[in-house]
Amino acid sequence: MAPQKNDVLYGTLAMLVLKTLAVNGPMHGYAITNHIQRVSADLLRVEEGSLYPALHRMEQRGWLRSEWGMTEKNREARFYSLTRLGRKQLVLEEENWARLTEGVARVLGYA
Amino acid sequence: MWHGLNAWLRRMWTALLPGRVERDIEREMSFHLAERADELRAAGLSEAEAERRARARFGNPTLQAERTRDVHVVRWLDTFVRDVRYAVRSLLRRPGFTATVVLTLALAIGANAAVFSALDAVLLRPLPFPAADRLVSVSEVSDRTTTTGIPPARLEDWRQLNAAFEAIHGYYVEDVSETSGDLPERVRRAVVSPGFLEVWGIGPVRGRGFTEAEHRFGGPGAVIISERYWRRRFGGAPDILERTVRLGTASVPIIGVMAADFRFPDRDVDLWAPVHVDAPYAQTRESPWYTVVGRMKPGVTPVRARADLAAVQAQLGERYPDTDRDIGIDVVPLKETAVGAVGQSLWLLFGAVTVLLLIACTNITALLLSRGAHRREELAVRQSLGVSRAAVAVQLLTETGVLALAGGVLGVGIAAAASGALRAAGVDLPRFDEVAVGGRVLLYTLASVVAVTLLCGFLPALRMAGGLAALRGGAARAQVSARNPLQWLLVGAQVALSITLLAGAGLLVRSLHELSRVEPGFDAKGVLTFRVSGSWGETANYAAIVQRIDATIDALAALPGVEAAATSGWDVPGVPTQWHTTFEVVEASTDARPIVAEGRAVSAEYFRTMRIPVLAGESCRRAPPPGGSEPPAYEMMVNHAFVERYLSDRPSPIGLHLREVDGPIPASRIVGVVGDARERGLDQEPGPTVYWCMSAPNPMPYFVVHARGDLGALAPSVRRLMKEIEPLRSVYEVAPLEERIGDAFAENRLRMLLLALFATTALSLACVGLYGTLSYAISVRRREVGLRLALGAPRRGIVAHFLARVAWVVAPACVLGIVLSFASSRLLSGMLYGVSPSDPTTLLGVVALVLAVATLAVLVPVTRAALLEPTKVLRDP
Repeated sequence: MAPQKNDVLYGTLAMLVLKTLAVNGPMHGYAITNHIQRVSADLLRVEEGSLYPALHRMEQRGWLRSEWGMTEKNREARFYSLTRLGRKQLVLEEENWARLTEGVARVLGYA
Repeated sequence: MWHGLNAWLRRMWTALLPGRVERDIEREMSFHLAERADELRAAGLSEAEAERRARARFGNPTLQAERTRDVHVVRWLDTFVRDVRYAVRSLLRRPGFTATVVLTLALAIGANAAVFSALDAVLLRPLPFPAADRLVSVSEVSDRTTTTGIPPARLEDWRQLNAAFEAIHGYYVEDVSETSGDLPERVRRAVVSPGFLEVWGIGPVRGRGFTEAEHRFGGPGAVIISERYWRRRFGGAPDILERTVRLGTASVPIIGVMAADFRFPDRDVDLWAPVHVDAPYAQTRESPWYTVVGRMKPGVTPVRARADLAAVQAQLGERYPDTDRDIGIDVVPLKETAVGAVGQSLWLLFGAVTVLLLIACTNITALLLSRGAHRREELAVRQSLGVSRAAVAVQLLTETGVLALAGGVLGVGIAAAASGALRAAGVDLPRFDEVAVGGRVLLYTLASVVAVTLLCGFLPALRMAGGLAALRGGAARAQVSARNPLQWLLVGAQVALSITLLAGAGLLVRSLHELSRVEPGFDAKGVLTFRVSGSWGETANYAAIVQRIDATIDALAALPGVEAAATSGWDVPGVPTQWHTTFEVVEASTDARPIVAEGRAVSAEYFRTMRIPVLAGESCRRAPPPGGSEPPAYEMMVNHAFVERYLSDRPSPIGLHLREVDGPIPASRIVGVVGDARERGLDQEPGPTVYWCMSAPNPMPYFVVHARGDLGALAPSVRRLMKEIEPLRSVYEVAPLEERIGDAFAENRLRMLLLALFATTALSLACVGLYGTLSYAISVRRREVGLRLALGAPRRGIVAHFLARVAWVVAPACVLGIVLSFASSRLLSGMLYGVSPSDPTTLLGVVALVLAVATLAVLVPVTRAALLEPTKVLRDP
């Protein structure tokens, strides 16, 4: 395992997945993992095993919908896309995140 | 919230169908691993190493898969169990409410399941024969008569020429005496044509069917006996196939035993005997003999079978123009003829209990809504503690489900008891002995429970979970539920539906009442009826039958206490039958219009015995016993309606001669006119009727004996007399005529009683709903009422206000109920007598009843409101 990489902070995975899908449109789980890793310039890495439970949970909350399709390599994969509710959730999470980071930054700056 | 419910349902789906989800998860993960391995291979790793790394990086796939699935299942089960526990706890905290709801549901679901059990047994389940949907009853249709027996020669032709039937056979039933015991015992024998077992598709449980030789004239004798007769007469002896029965003078070997559930032609048949197809008397194309049942070939529909037989019959018409022309064929599924008119009654009752269940549901919905209003605070607290609206809705739905399930379980008990009662009450109705609460009824009950849960639970769940934005104070409470249009709407629906049910029941009650007031035109009081066994074989010596019957009449008339005795050939008067015959007046020109009339064969003493008055001419006299095998010329009576309809243009009907078209009886002279009597059923207007004065049209006519005094004492003395003069014959079907007529309308009475029961239950439910909703509305507005009173509003005004509120609901509901009962009156068609489906008296009566009961139901809460003590109410917290 690569100790220098940060596993995605618990609780932010959902937000990252939502954002990824909002930007790129429908994707399968593998592509989501790679995308997060690449865009974060390898600073963040998704624990692959925990991604799928998270995706299912999000689907059940109605943030995502999924369907089976074929990849360019002609493999069957499950593609996830954002629902209207998911978009709302993303806005909420982004706001929360902004507040959280601002708060944390202030605390750190004050100290 | 919609979304929440949706997700909840999806999770339930997952928990119930775990296989699909697991497969999905596995497929998804193996895709991920394959992609990762590809990437690693592209980076230069070996196949095996790439796979190992991909796996290592993914973590434990099985564990992951389980964790993913757990999201679906465990959570759902967990919440479900918690919801159920919570529901049970909160229901137990309000035992009064819970008991009311559970009992209401138990009654409604139980009644529903009971009627369904009857419907299922009688109409839905196939007859107890293999491939029973291919069994049809076949009859002929002719303008000339409505008798349906098929002559033996014609059936034989059908059997050989048709292409649609696997097998087709005919039977007739007669009552004969078995004389091997100390006393002759009446046994019911079905005489069957070849193909009997092939048609039913069932073999005997012991022994074999009839051989060809046994169907030949002069061939070996053979009978198959019923299981019941085997047990009753032979105590279930194992060597039954070596025993014989003694019928008349001949001992006949028993060759088989039919299973206990084989009940055709009817459940009273004791034995089956083969007809002798080549016997000289069985070559007729004229005498009506058989009731015919056929088994169609696979894939043949009744319509095709009918077309096929009609073509065969057209051929026969050319070959035998005298007897076979112009005869149509009717082919009807056997189940329809076996079940008969009971089907319509059952659908009617099923409709009624379904409406009852609907009323119960609306009632419970209203109760849940009012209770929910009380629970607003509790629910608001839960929500503010972070429970989602969907979760609250699911929780409320679970509560309703628990209530419905409890009601369903109790309901099954009620249904079991009720279907036992139905079985007993409908003992004379077809297939009612098969009524029972079985797997299908349980499934049906379960379906009702689910339907009830959704029907009753949905509105309250949506309503309460939806409108709970925040905790509000007591003032808001009044605001929220003071008006409650939804609850009033539900109460209105209940009132409307109960009016519909009551109107139906009211019409049936009135019908029976009208029927009981009818003047039958004959006197059934003090008349005992019975039959004496005989066999169609006796018709070889017709004179002997006439002599025997006449001697029996004379002996009966000489019994102490007996005023008159007679025979009524084909059926007792007053019990529904149809026996239309076409006649012609011998003295009329040939182109005279056809005369269709009821034909009855009665002995000369009949009119005196039944006290039917002779209006003109004289009562007929007993014909001298016939000499040869040809029947002699009889005297004839006609009724008043016959003269009115057909002979009004002649100075006198006396002395004219009538001949039955295509019938075996020669022209007979009319000697008298009698009053109209409702002999073919009390519910039937007396039609034109012709009486042949023949004491013995068949070997086992009905005897009617008019006695002074007690009929119970007469029956044994009739039996003693018969034992003396006819020791080899048995006396059976002994019953007072009034009882027989009553039995003929047993189904009407049962139907009326059940519908009335359902309707009154519906009305009381509607009243409970009315009372509850109004009391609630008033309790919510207590403070307001108190305030108004304190400010000087008159108490009268308060009362008027609430009564107006109720009137606003009940008045449109009454109108709607009347409209509904008009719309559904088609269901009652054919069940009513002497009252039209839109009878204004009944409808107004029902509305008046509903208004009266509704007024009683609202009077209590309204009075309570009017008597409120303003100072006390306003000081209350």
